[in-house]
Amino acid sequence: MSLATLDAATLYGLMGAVLVGIGLYGIVLHDVFIRRLLAFNLLGGGVFILFGVIARRGAGAGFPGDPVPQALVITGVVVAFCATALAITLIERLAAKDEASDGDDHS
Amino acid sequence: MNALLPIAALFPLALFVLSALWPAWRPRVARLLWLAPLPALAAALFAIGGALALPGPLALALDFPGAMLLGAAGLIWMAAGIATLAFWGEKLETLPYQSWWLLTMTGSLAVFMASNLVTFYLAFSLVSLAGYGLVTRDGSARALRAGRVYFTLAVIGEAFLLTAFVLLAVGTPSGSIAIPDVVAALAASPLRDAALLFLLLGFGTKMGLVPLHVWMPPSYTAAPFPAAAVLSGAAVKAGVIGLARFLPFGTALSGWGEALAIIGFFSAFFGVAIGLTQRNPKAVLAYSSISQMGVIAAVAGMSLAGGRAAAPSELAFYALHHVFAKGGLFLALAAIAMTGPRHLRPILWPAVVVALGIAGLPLTGGALAKLAVKDALGDGLAGLLGSLSAAATTMLMLHFIVRARATAASDTSAEAPFAIRAAWWGAAAAALLLPWLLFPSVAGNLRKAVEAKSLFALAWPMLLGGAAFMGWSRLRHRPELPPGDVLVLMRPATTRFYRLADRIAGMEAWITTWPVAGTLLLLLAIGFAGAMLAAR
Amino acid sequence: MTAALMATTPGGLLLVLAVVVPVIGILALWLVRARDIEWVAIATLAVNLFLSLATLQAVRASDAPLVYLVGGWLPPLGLALRVDGIAAVLMAMTGAIVAVTALYARGQFGFDPQGPERRRPMVFWTMLLAITGALNLIFAGEDLFNLYVALELLTFAAVPLVSLDGSRDTLEAALRYLVFALAGSVLYLLGVAVIYGAYGTLDLVVLSEIRGAEGALLLAIALMTAGLIAKTALFPLHLWLPPAHAGAPAAASAILSALVVKGSFFLILRLWFDLLPPGLGTIGANGLGLLGAGAVIVGSVLALRQARLKLLVAYSTVAQIGYLFLIFPLATGSEAASPFASLAWTGGVLQLLAHAFAKAAMFMAAGLVYEAIGHDRIDGFRGLGRLAPITVLTMTLAGLSLMGLPPSGGFSAKWLMLSASLGEGAWWWAVVILAGGLLAAGYVFRILMPAFSTPDAPAERLHPVALTRELAALSLAVIAILIGFLPLSPWPLLAIGRLIQVSP
Repeated sequence: MSLATLDAATLYGLMGAVLVGIGLYGIVLHDVFIRRLLAFNLLGGGVFILFGVIARRGAGAGFPGDPVPQALVITGVVVAFCATALAITLIERLAAKDEASDGDDHS
Repeated sequence: MNALLPIAALFPLALFVLSALWPAWRPRVARLLWLAPLPALAAALFAIGGALALPGPLALALDFPGAMLLGAAGLIWMAAGIATLAFWGEKLETLPYQSWWLLTMTGSLAVFMASNLVTFYLAFSLVSLAGYGLVTRDGSARALRAGRVYFTLAVIGEAFLLTAFVLLAVGTPSGSIAIPDVVAALAASPLRDAALLFLLLGFGTKMGLVPLHVWMPPSYTAAPFPAAAVLSGAAVKAGVIGLARFLPFGTALSGWGEALAIIGFFSAFFGVAIGLTQRNPKAVLAYSSISQMGVIAAVAGMSLAGGRAAAPSELAFYALHHVFAKGGLFLALAAIAMTGPRHLRPILWPAVVVALGIAGLPLTGGALAKLAVKDALGDGLAGLLGSLSAAATTMLMLHFIVRARATAASDTSAEAPFAIRAAWWGAAAAALLLPWLLFPSVAGNLRKAVEAKSLFALAWPMLLGGAAFMGWSRLRHRPELPPGDVLVLMRPATTRFYRLADRIAGMEAWITTWPVAGTLLLLLAIGFAGAMLAAR
Repeated sequence: MTAALMATTPGGLLLVLAVVVPVIGILALWLVRARDIEWVAIATLAVNLFLSLATLQAVRASDAPLVYLVGGWLPPLGLALRVDGIAAVLMAMTGAIVAVTALYARGQFGFDPQGPERRRPMVFWTMLLAITGALNLIFAGEDLFNLYVALELLTFAAVPLVSLDGSRDTLEAALRYLVFALAGSVLYLLGVAVIYGAYGTLDLVVLSEIRGAEGALLLAIALMTAGLIAKTALFPLHLWLPPAHAGAPAAASAILSALVVKGSFFLILRLWFDLLPPGLGTIGANGLGLLGAGAVIVGSVLALRQARLKLLVAYSTVAQIGYLFLIFPLATGSEAASPFASLAWTGGVLQLLAHAFAKAAMFMAAGLVYEAIGHDRIDGFRGLGRLAPITVLTMTLAGLSLMGLPPSGGFSAKWLMLSASLGEGAWWWAVVILAGGLLAAGYVFRILMPAFSTPDAPAERLHPVALTRELAALSLAVIAILIGFLPLSPWPLLAIGRLIQVSP
């Protein structure tokens, strides 16, 4: 099977699946929160690509390109951004605590 | 008059609220504690046949068997309340003493008036759980241990009962939860056998039928005298009223009836056999309770097998005597423990009569109790076993008197406070006389009770039991067992439970590690998809 | 039918207000002086309570769901808000618990210019309002993506509450909660994508009319269910719950345990009973029931082993969530005309209500105990009854409901669920319910018995606690008891406006 037989939607779909796979692997098996968070972003990216594929297929309404999934992806990206920001804040606070307590240990 | 029912049930509760909210009232409540069952007595006298729906799923009603037990329980609570003021003194002015006493009383009295499943379960739970506070009242390590066993068995018994009640309700097509309705529907219910099984397990736990009796000896031994008096006299009767209310005596169920009778007789003899090995007179009385509740279960079983519609009254009548006799004997023990040899006689001799009354001493109230259930047991094997159990009880009661006398105070001139003695004498009088008043309305003819044939039927087992006791007390090496017998066998079960809990906790710790939980999340997603696609 | 369902009903504006008012409240918090924050928040929550009760009343009176079409746009293009019987009940529950929690929290996070953490009051009150708004949106939402946003809002508002005291342990608990919940949300979002791809709409009402037994739908529901049970902390995915709920301040724990986990649970209910074609869920429903059974047993055993009150109460939440999932096998296995007329449906909702009130009261009481004696180790509870009688009374009443003794909401729930399982001949669920009740009796006993006993040495109370706060906790426990006085039969209210009225 050559690449030419793949249309864009299928290719994007496969990419989405790969991203979801990598993301799931990372979120389950990494033991550091920052890596899990990055994995979550990959995972989310995979799902957003899936939305893109669906928009491309114009599945629901028979449009050449469905605008609704794009709106959903934009909202989803904002939500994922918020989640990442919140998680990063927590990770930073945690790291600050750890540094402080390490300092205590050595003194 | 219907208004008496909720007043009877709620008056002790109201006193509890008063004592809880206004500490200044506690000394007064302590002095009035013995009057708390007064509305219940009024209800037992004047509100028979009354019925009343309360808010929500609660409803009360009082029939004749219920009224007998309500009155008896009210009186023994009263007697114990009089004794307890002298026994506990100032301690009774504190909230823990008053609250456990009043809460147990509320449940103990309300259970006789409950007319639907939810109310019955509420009252039954209240008397069972609040009883924990009475068992552990002296706060010693032994009492707390006994309390744990008590609580465990109480909760297990309640789970049995809840299952039974739900089965009863589910088996009632009309959707009613009134007790007469669910019992009427029971015979035709497809869930009949399961419902009966769990009813017997639930009430059997409360009554202390072997092997669900393990809580009773340690609890009565650990409980202070007045508490033991109300627990053994009044609280246990929640199980008896349960059998009387819930078994479908209208239809003959020979299989279930005979099974119950076998368990009952086994408990009757088992209680005596182990009771004879006990040194502590409280433990002896506890085993006697197991034995007597066994007799009641046997009577209920034979009545069920024979379809005797009169069974509830007969059971209640037998139990009424036991209320005063057993509750009274615990009060007697309180008096004996505070009394020296010089003043012992007016306490000990009534105890001898009341104790032998439990075995059916002719002309006592106990004799009438035995006669009231005679027809139910019949003349066959069950009747013979009934007589033999009376002989066995005679042995146990003589053993009790011997052990009780040994606990008298060493100070020769010591004398128990008058309140305690009066409470005991009152209970003794009620045990001996009250059955005479009620006998005609239960079993009919008083004249039959005093004819020679009846007297002989009662007397020969006693003589047999007396002779057996003589032989027994000559034995040089009499076995002695700790109270609780098969409880020893339960200890491995407890260890096994803790080991299982450890294993569950270990598994939980593994599951809650991140990679495991993450993998499970994915597996669940796949599993659900597979399950739904497979169902398509 | 679609047209009738899809028009704004007279009371529909209430739904918009219920979602918007908490947001307005949040904005107002930033406009007022620091010392007035509390009052603005409490006033907002009072308005919210009024709105939720009005919604409940409107649904009851009209015997039909309230609908509001945002901007007048019809789904699938527009977003609809729709509140049916069960959603109205849950909205009212949320309104009541949040309002009482606010009274309890008054002064806890009060303005303290010298305090170490000056942002705490702002964070707490903002997040409390945000949780309220998010829950209202979850109960009223009709569009699966809209619900996704609401779900994420709920999580983002809940996580900061966990780490409010800023200690290392709570930060780690919050992070664990957040990242695990995010993994769950992505699975949910994946399901949303699949559904949109297959049907071109995300509106639940429209979907319930056009969907058949397509594989895409089933796959989507499976993905979304897995994601949602991670957020609900159903065993075995409960790893984040005990540290998070036990570490948060008492007022926050009350909200997290009583309400936040119920948001995602409600969505599972909607997916399984509104979207899944009848008859396809039997195996899956039994699977959910099995997980619930595991939660009941494992959660209760773990609760029995905890040395600290707050952890005990948190594990009790794990167990009580398990009961909720018994609805799935019991309601689908019922022979009633529809799952919503079954005993199990009402029993499950009662369990949800009773647990919410009892658990909120229990966590608040745990907080008061901590303030009274400076720790929450159960073996140090001797004599607590004398030190803090109202708090011990609160724990007793809440404990009675958790154990399922009558009359209490917990008892009614247990009774109905037992009736359902024994009536259907599915006795194994009854065994689980009863075993859970026994273990609950055990852990409640462990808390209360030392509290009732008299201490060897009279202990001193560390801090005086405002009576209003004790009464706030008590009022919730009393409501948990009062729920037990409602009729012991299926409520018609809970079947109003359900999408699948008759199962084939």
